[in-house]
Amino acid sequence: MKLHIVNRSPASHRVHEQALAAMGPEDRLLLIEDGVQGGLPQLVRHFEAIAGRLYAQREDLEARGLLGRCDGSVQVVDVDGFVQLTEQAEHTLSWY
Amino acid sequence: MRYAILLMGAPYSDQASHSALRFARALLARGHRLEAVFFYHDGVYNAARLSAPPQDEPHLTDGWVALHETHGVALQVCIAAALRRGLMDEREAARHGKAGHSVEAPFELTGVGQLVDLSQRCDRLVTFGP
Repeated sequence: MKLHIVNRSPASHRVHEQALAAMGPEDRLLLIEDGVQGGLPQLVRHFEAIAGRLYAQREDLEARGLLGRCDGSVQVVDVDGFVQLTEQAEHTLSWY
Repeated sequence: MRYAILLMGAPYSDQASHSALRFARALLARGHRLEAVFFYHDGVYNAARLSAPPQDEPHLTDGWVALHETHGVALQVCIAAALRRGLMDEREAARHGKAGHSVEAPFELTGVGQLVDLSQRCDRLVTFGP
C-alpha cells in the first residue's frame, strides 16, 4: 500500500488526476493544505474512484474554517494520523 | 522507524515548511527517529541564518535548529540549490569572494547524493512540495 499526498485543491489544479491515475487498488490518498477542499461535498466527486481510501488533514481543515464540512465518506485525521498513515504505507508519494 | 523529510517549498511563500515542521514534530512525538531534513530547491531558504520574521509568527529556521538540538536531526542543505540563491556558509563565501555568509551550523551544505543515501537507509522519506 502506498500513501499519496495531495496539497492542491481540485477546484484550481488538476494534479489530483495524476495522483488518482497512479494509485493502486489498495493505495490511500491524503489531502493536506489547500488539498483539503477536495473533501467538501461539492468537490468530493473527483475522488469517487477511491471511496473509503480518502483522508483529509484536520489541522488544514481547521485553519481554513472547514472542519465539520467534509463529506461523510472522507476520513479526517490529525497530524498524528498522518504519521500513522505513513507507518502503514510502504512508500509515500507527494503530488503538488 | 527511521524517517527523512525532503522539503522543497520556500518558507513564508507556501505552506510546505509549516507542514513539514508539524509532521517532523509529530513523528518524533510518536517515538520515531528523524534522521535528516533535506532542504532542496526553494526549501533551502529555510536555512537562512539572517531570517527575522515578526515575533508573533513561527520562526521556521529556529524551529529546525530546535529539532537538531533536541533530537539530533541532521539539517542538510543542497549546496547547488543554495549557492545560486545566495545561501552559503563561511567556507563557500570565502571561496566565492563574498563579504558575508548566510548559512551556519547546524545547517550543513551537502550534495544531492546525501538525499539518495537518505532514501536508501531510511524506512520512510516524506516529501513536502511547494
